[in-house]
Amino acid sequence: MKIRLTALLTALAVVALPAAAHHSFAIYDMTQNIEFEGVVETLKMRNPHMALTLTVTKPDGTTQTVNFVEGAPANMIVRMGLNPADIAVGKPIKTIGAPRRDDANAYFLKAIILADGRRFSVIN
Amino acid sequence: MLKSAPTTAAVAAALIALCGCERTEPEAATVAAAPQHPDFSGIYFPAGRQQDPQRPVYTPPAAAALAEYEKAFLLDDDPGRYCQWPGMPRAIWGAPFAVEIQQRPQDLSIYWEGYGMYRKIYMADHNPPEPVLPSAMGHSVGHWEGDTLVVETTNLKPYPYMTRQATSSDAHVVERIRLEERDVEGQKVKFIVNEVVLTDPKIYTTPIKITGTLRHRPDLQLLEYTCTDALWDEYLTKRGLTLPDMDALAAP
Repeated sequence: MKIRLTALLTALAVVALPAAAHHSFAIYDMTQNIEFEGVVETLKMRNPHMALTLTVTKPDGTTQTVNFVEGAPANMIVRMGLNPADIAVGKPIKTIGAPRRDDANAYFLKAIILADGRRFSVIN
Repeated sequence: MLKSAPTTAAVAAALIALCGCERTEPEAATVAAAPQHPDFSGIYFPAGRQQDPQRPVYTPPAAAALAEYEKAFLLDDDPGRYCQWPGMPRAIWGAPFAVEIQQRPQDLSIYWEGYGMYRKIYMADHNPPEPVLPSAMGHSVGHWEGDTLVVETTNLKPYPYMTRQATSSDAHVVERIRLEERDVEGQKVKFIVNEVVLTDPKIYTTPIKITGTLRHRPDLQLLEYTCTDALWDEYLTKRGLTLPDMDALAAP
């Protein structure tokens, strides 16, 4: 059974449930799906939210660090089938991010797409 | 870690309870000699929640406290983000993480992967201890009413987060917990159905009924959930400290 963050966010809509869930995600513009392709620079497989930074090479050859400040709980995404070794530091991956409204370089990690095409969407 | 394997008799009793079968005379005689109860032991995953009334009615003082709270606190001012346990009764419907129950005749131990919450339900007929300090999970004492485990919880410390099912020290929680077998995609699956009544006259004008359901998931294992990792990382960043990378150290 796949467990998706979508379910968690849906559950968040229930008035009393946030006691057990985390903060709202209103600080992010969740309508956006910005795709990045890069190499994992740092990885924190932790709860309640994993985090990673991605080194992205821009068209002019310079690099930029994109900061995914939070995503799914580590326990949730490994239950979806993600092997942390597949997103270890140095691995090339694609990501989908939603930017923070007050910090354009901080993103919520909505999805991870591995080099072999497997996709782990924590929110659609 | 203790793991109580269900006895054949306990399994038989649970199956009888689930199918509604009448007990035959020989089985009844065995049960009379050594009462058997459903065994809730196992790993489960939250599978739904219903509440009545959906929007609880607050007492006038609680309504005033809610108004003040909503003025000052944002949704992001979340105690869970800082690893405060949701506690009882909020833990029952829970976060989307596994729950493990270990049942013995004298008590049930419940471990929630999310937040690492832990709770003990002492059985009334096994000399339960007296409560010591108010706590997030409270002091729970249970007894059997047929195949239903009835649990009363008191000695809860206040949970003053008004938009998150707040409770006071007067909160009183009664749970009626039973096993159900349901057909899921052609498979017989065990569920725990917990009918909770939360009474807290300082906050709510009427009792609140909540039904929390857990699905048996023997395929899952409990994972570690250290809630404070992110807080510690934030602290180190604020202090400008960098921990040594142990994995990068040269092997001898």
